[in-house]
Amino acid sequence: MANLQFKALCKSFGDVEILHGIDLEILDGEFIVFVGPSGCGKSTLLRCIAGLEDITSGELFIGGKPMNDVPPSKRGIAMVFQSYALYPHMTVAENMAFGLKLAGYSKTEVAAAVQRAAQILQIESLLDRRPKALSGGQRQRVAIGRAIVRKPGVFLFDEPLSNLDAGLRVQMRVELARLHKDLATTMVYVTHDQVEAMTLANRIVVINEGRIEQVGSPLELYHHPANRFVAGFIGSPKMNFLPCVLVSAAGTGATVRLEDGTLLAAGADARGLAEGTALTLGIRPERLLAETAAGEGTAKTKVIVAEHLGDTVFLYVQSPGGTGQLTVKAQPENPLRTGDETHLRFPAKHCLLFGPDDRTLPRLA
Amino acid sequence: MAIVIDKSQRWRLVAAHIFLICLCALVIFPLLLVVSISFRPGNFASGSLIPETISLEHWRFALGLPVVNVDGREIIPDLPVLRWLWNSVKVATLSALVAVLLSTTAAYAFARLKFARKSAALTGLMLMQMFPTVLALVAIHAIFSRIGHAFPLFGVDSYWSLVLAYSGGVALFIWVIKGFYETIPPEIEEAATVDGATPWQAFRYVLLPMAVPILMVVFILAFINAVNEYPVASVLLRSQDKLTIAAGMKQFLYAQKYLWGDFAAAAILSSLPISIVFILAQRWMISGLTAGANKG
Repeated sequence: MANLQFKALCKSFGDVEILHGIDLEILDGEFIVFVGPSGCGKSTLLRCIAGLEDITSGELFIGGKPMNDVPPSKRGIAMVFQSYALYPHMTVAENMAFGLKLAGYSKTEVAAAVQRAAQILQIESLLDRRPKALSGGQRQRVAIGRAIVRKPGVFLFDEPLSNLDAGLRVQMRVELARLHKDLATTMVYVTHDQVEAMTLANRIVVINEGRIEQVGSPLELYHHPANRFVAGFIGSPKMNFLPCVLVSAAGTGATVRLEDGTLLAAGADARGLAEGTALTLGIRPERLLAETAAGEGTAKTKVIVAEHLGDTVFLYVQSPGGTGQLTVKAQPENPLRTGDETHLRFPAKHCLLFGPDDRTLPRLA
Repeated sequence: MAIVIDKSQRWRLVAAHIFLICLCALVIFPLLLVVSISFRPGNFASGSLIPETISLEHWRFALGLPVVNVDGREIIPDLPVLRWLWNSVKVATLSALVAVLLSTTAAYAFARLKFARKSAALTGLMLMQMFPTVLALVAIHAIFSRIGHAFPLFGVDSYWSLVLAYSGGVALFIWVIKGFYETIPPEIEEAATVDGATPWQAFRYVLLPMAVPILMVVFILAFINAVNEYPVASVLLRSQDKLTIAAGMKQFLYAQKYLWGDFAAAAILSSLPISIVFILAQRWMISGLTAGANKG
């Protein structure tokens, strides 16, 4: 049981700075997910917590104690690696017992701890096998078991599910959620898969290019992204972005003009920005409506491809007046087909506006 | 697995077999010749492969048993072949152990640790190994005779000096083992580190057990090297009963007379320890020890 605290943590490899001053507090018992595109520094941050990388500057506290110069074994952490990293020459039981043996526990204590962890993960029948005789999912369980036996204050997961096939990934995701509920230990989880982040996390930390873009609960990030990067990264399919120009701003909302000249109302506070400022309009695919008939405030365009998935239809439409492509998540009853003409409606309260600095303009209720 | 095979494949198979059989014959022929010479009466290098009469005189000589001469006199062999063999085994075992010890640890440092001038040191190792030992023979003799004044244990005519001299040849082994270590994913040791292992424990309990096959290969290579090595052994060892078999066997070949028969018998004897070590080591040389560590 431990909380974590980062204070202006920086990490450089040679002259290249990977993490530029991370400030974050992780509460005791929280399931926190670091998410971001590959190469954003999220794994490096995790390895800094583990002590596998030294911290260039700034401070790290685990359980209130400074940890910058404490070796990995003394940090009270356990880590599950993306590649599982099991000891191939040891049986499953030996793999799980290794850490406890090194710590000098008695044989009976070790055996009991291994047995209990094996029970939790339902791998009791595999204890005498070697890793090479296990399937990918079983290996992942053993790797998690190896972490559990040591009763760490903090669990660190480095993309633990990315090597599993889709079905197994969903199953392990559910089990990880259950494990967190049972153990109630702080867990730090790194992934590039925003679905894992959305489903598992108490709070998500979105990292991009070595900086924290936003920290918040999954739904907070979904509905109130702080900037265009978070808006685009969280949510699947991705949010639609359209360039637009500010026409007028008032306390009740802003009016913008799309590239094809359509005037739209958006529920955002653009006061303070000059008329004619170039903005970006963002709207989620499930909020964008594709209609067959023109109406007030609709933009005329064409369906490029319609994908029918049974319960939903994905319509990929030409961005009005632009070259880009927008996604519409429509009801299965939607009659539009590939090549049809359509009129897009942008409900004002679901339209986000991003300023010239890519930050989200305050939303009006 | 029943793959349809073209008819021409059959002839290729026959041709390949003929080629392989010829190759085997070519390799085995010299060996058979040596065996034949050791059983042939007299000391002739040439002659038919299957001796007309079988004589055990050379083998009795090599094994130190009394030999009855042509004129009926009994001769006690004056060259301690078995003793040389034992000397060789001792030196080879010791130097192979030293080579494994030095090269595993050095290779670990080169493969995993970060330190200044690492690549320069690696290249340096390779460069030093490039030159033949004979080149430094005089220097080796001078160095060890000098050391002998201060530490007689490491002086001329001591096995320890020979072991020390041979341990200078580990550069190649370091490269070999380093290459093997680099195929082992570093995450495994990182996992051990997080599990609470010190760098030494991670090396001893995690990396080393996985490296057993390559260590065996290095042990065998170092052992063979030490048994076969002639120049350094002939310079550093003086007294007759201290020679290794490679250095001692030269004494069968006088300027006036080459005792090929005795030489052949001794040569076969010298291959014994190598064969035994090879057979013993083979069971450890299992491949695929790292299988299953990763997603695979």
